[in-house]
Amino acid sequence: MRKTWHWRFFVVFAVFLLGLTACSSSTSNDKDGKDTKTTQKEDISKFPMTVKNDGKIVDGVLNYGLVSDTPFEGTLNYAFYEGDPDFKILQFFDEPLFHFNEDYEITNDGAATYELSDDKKTMTIKIKDNVKWHDGEPVKAEDLEYAYLVIGHKDYTGVRYGDALMQDIVGMEEYHSGKADKISGIKVIDDKTLTITWKHANPSVLTGIWAYPLPKHYLKDVPIKDLAKSDKIRKHPIGFGPFKVKKIVPGESVEFVRNDDYWAGKPNLKGVILKVVSPQVVLQALKKGEIDVAEFPTDQYVSAKGTKNIQFVGKIDLSYSYIGFKLGRWDAEKQENVMDNPKFQNKKLRQAMAYAINNKEVGDRLYHGLRFPATTLIPPSFPSYHDKNAKGYTYDPEKAKKLLDEAGYKDVDGDGFREDPNGKKFVINFLAMSGGDIAEPLAKFYMQCWKDVGLNVQLVDGRLAEFNSFYDMVQNDDPKVDVFAAAWGTGTDVDPYGLYGRNVMFNFSRWVNVKNDELLEKGHSEQAFDKEYRKKIYNEWQALMNEEVPVIPTLYRSIIYAVNNRVKNYSADIDPFIWKWKDVGVTSEKPEVAQ
Amino acid sequence: MLKFILRRIMMMIPQLFILSVLVFLLAKAMPGDALTGQLASNPKIDAQTLEEMKEKLGLNDPVHVQYARWMKNLLQGDLGISYIHKQPVNDLLAGRMWNTILLSAAILILTYMIAIPLGIVSGRWTDSWADKLIVGYSYVSFATPLFIFALIMLFIFGFKLGWFPTGGSVDIQVEKGTFAYYLSKLNHLLLPALSGALINTVGTIQYLRSEIIDTKVKDFVKTARAKGVPESSIYWRHILRNSFLPIAAFLGYEITGLIGGSIFLESIFSYPGIGQLFLQSILQRDYSVVTALVMISGLATLIGTLLSDIILSAVDPRIRIE
Repeated sequence: MRKTWHWRFFVVFAVFLLGLTACSSSTSNDKDGKDTKTTQKEDISKFPMTVKNDGKIVDGVLNYGLVSDTPFEGTLNYAFYEGDPDFKILQFFDEPLFHFNEDYEITNDGAATYELSDDKKTMTIKIKDNVKWHDGEPVKAEDLEYAYLVIGHKDYTGVRYGDALMQDIVGMEEYHSGKADKISGIKVIDDKTLTITWKHANPSVLTGIWAYPLPKHYLKDVPIKDLAKSDKIRKHPIGFGPFKVKKIVPGESVEFVRNDDYWAGKPNLKGVILKVVSPQVVLQALKKGEIDVAEFPTDQYVSAKGTKNIQFVGKIDLSYSYIGFKLGRWDAEKQENVMDNPKFQNKKLRQAMAYAINNKEVGDRLYHGLRFPATTLIPPSFPSYHDKNAKGYTYDPEKAKKLLDEAGYKDVDGDGFREDPNGKKFVINFLAMSGGDIAEPLAKFYMQCWKDVGLNVQLVDGRLAEFNSFYDMVQNDDPKVDVFAAAWGTGTDVDPYGLYGRNVMFNFSRWVNVKNDELLEKGHSEQAFDKEYRKKIYNEWQALMNEEVPVIPTLYRSIIYAVNNRVKNYSADIDPFIWKWKDVGVTSEKPEVAQ
Repeated sequence: MLKFILRRIMMMIPQLFILSVLVFLLAKAMPGDALTGQLASNPKIDAQTLEEMKEKLGLNDPVHVQYARWMKNLLQGDLGISYIHKQPVNDLLAGRMWNTILLSAAILILTYMIAIPLGIVSGRWTDSWADKLIVGYSYVSFATPLFIFALIMLFIFGFKLGWFPTGGSVDIQVEKGTFAYYLSKLNHLLLPALSGALINTVGTIQYLRSEIIDTKVKDFVKTARAKGVPESSIYWRHILRNSFLPIAAFLGYEITGLIGGSIFLESIFSYPGIGQLFLQSILQRDYSVVTALVMISGLATLIGTLLSDIILSAVDPRIRIE
């Protein structure tokens, strides 16, 4: 029940139109773009990044809407939280020691500065003197060390230890297995200085280093296995961010007050009140001025734009949707992907399937342009690494047919579907996930597209799969699945190794390739600290992936925020650049209300 | 009577045991586990760590071992740890359950407050315009889906008229324990409770109405009339008392329903309760929460039926439990 009912009808209507016009014939008039009545297309690049407000900031409280149809979990610590709602609370009261640039690489503008050794394996971190926890204690080097000691501990209940960089720290494995009681690669030099040494030089440390200290003086009495459930994290958490937590009503709201001792200066807002708002009523709450800021559900944008008292800002999200081919299986013994499934080994078949789908149509019709065709596996939200010149696969059914003919997939028995090169029936089993109103039309649309080029594609088990069964089948290489549609959130680390490497389980297509191994290795080698070099390598990698298409990148996503007119200095990139909350202010005591 | 109650309670033990086995096996039979969600949200975790975490959570043990461990804790009143919420299920439920009971009790009270007078009116003056109106309302409310009705109520009374707060269970800025705090709680409760109650009345109205119509023509009523008992006292003393029997009998079940919560109301009004928690726990494979909730509602249902029987025997002298 995520949307209101009239929305549902609209989607049904849209499906209807899609079915009628989109992929099935080449004579429909939307090819030349005349059919504008049903297509309300938005363009995320036309959204401003920062709100416009020339007023003078007054001392006021901001109301933040946490858009979710469920209560937040309330694990309020960076080392332990898992759900995004908890992050939306964390951003106000705690932050990483480092700021970072638009490529998410750390800089020296934050609460700490860093320096890398000549061999790039050791980082010296110096915490600035005026950085203090909310209880007045200074943030010390041992606090950061403590964070590593907690995450690496065998009793730790969170998921952060799974990160490759975390395990690459010298002495981490020994500590994790209980052989050592300290991590030998982390040294506290003095109160404010600490060094971390990794086994390998990897440019991903600049984006992926763990820089969230834990207040040791506050938490050290709680056993590590009890930390996540302790009141010190759930009810009275402290951090060193611009606001302090004053009060929490579990699952529904949080009250923050200004941290006057914030290291970067006094924040503009007197306080923030965060409350959970159901996506069904978020627009009304914004119109009435009950909330000033909210991440806005993109599927409601069309009915919301033009609202007088709010502005929209937006950006491209750090994620992409894709369609993957099952090319093999995961060998858990050897911790390695094995490419032994013959069905889709022919590259031309994969390319043909990529040419056959019309992602532009999907983005425009189902998402009003707020999702748009993906061209590579590194989204544009990595401005330095996304290859802007990459073409990707644009809709070209004729080319798809030609490629299929060349590959030997021809319709020999005249039933309208192509047979495989041996003349046997060729049925492709497609696994798609349920959830949301668009899931079903989307899957149907892709299947129609493939049918148009003569491929017989059927849904696995004849229906959409629920989230858990979906990943259960994909992860365990269920032989029922040939092709699957999924999505990845990339996080801020550009390195694609964790999703496409030979030895990683999340390489769901199980595609392995020597050239790929080499490029991924180079991409996080010592040499890749040279940004130009790294860019070149990742451009090559994007080209390789587009050529080989083990997965077809399908759509990039937008993320938009609705902001009341009284708010100043709010920008769409405040996640992940959360220290910008300090500058956000309001220019009147009362929010603007729509008439 | 006491013997009856004791026997019923003894019978609950095997019933609950069977329920526990079924629930546990079914929960485990669902594809995926609590860590599956990690795949979508956090690709920065390696296969080994996932495996290690499964081991730590005991997900790799044979099912009977997991069941025995769960049962042992259950008997000690420990419902386990929620993986998703990272806190003991007992604590998690304590917070949510209180909210849910408040909301459901408010719905129940409002339902009776609305339905009983309406049922009486429409039963007493059958086929009058008031009766037609009431029956009409009860049918419409029966046909209205809660998630649309609650939204409409919220838009009109919350956003347009601004009479009620639009979400949450309490205003965060009032001090806990003060009078204003309880007032704020009540204020937050009214609109969702009213939304739930207004379309929940059909059963009570119809039961009451048809019982009254039935009783109206019974012989003892005719006798009373013939003896010249005033009409109002016939209704109050003779007809109504008898007509309340099915509603009284149902009360036991209704009390059980208090802990179920409502997915739609909770989601629309951002009200943290049991309904959403149950749904989310199933979707996220938070086994300990799912099994705990099913066991609790199973127990509540058994107690509810028992209560219903007891109430019925108390109010209806014709029924005797031996």
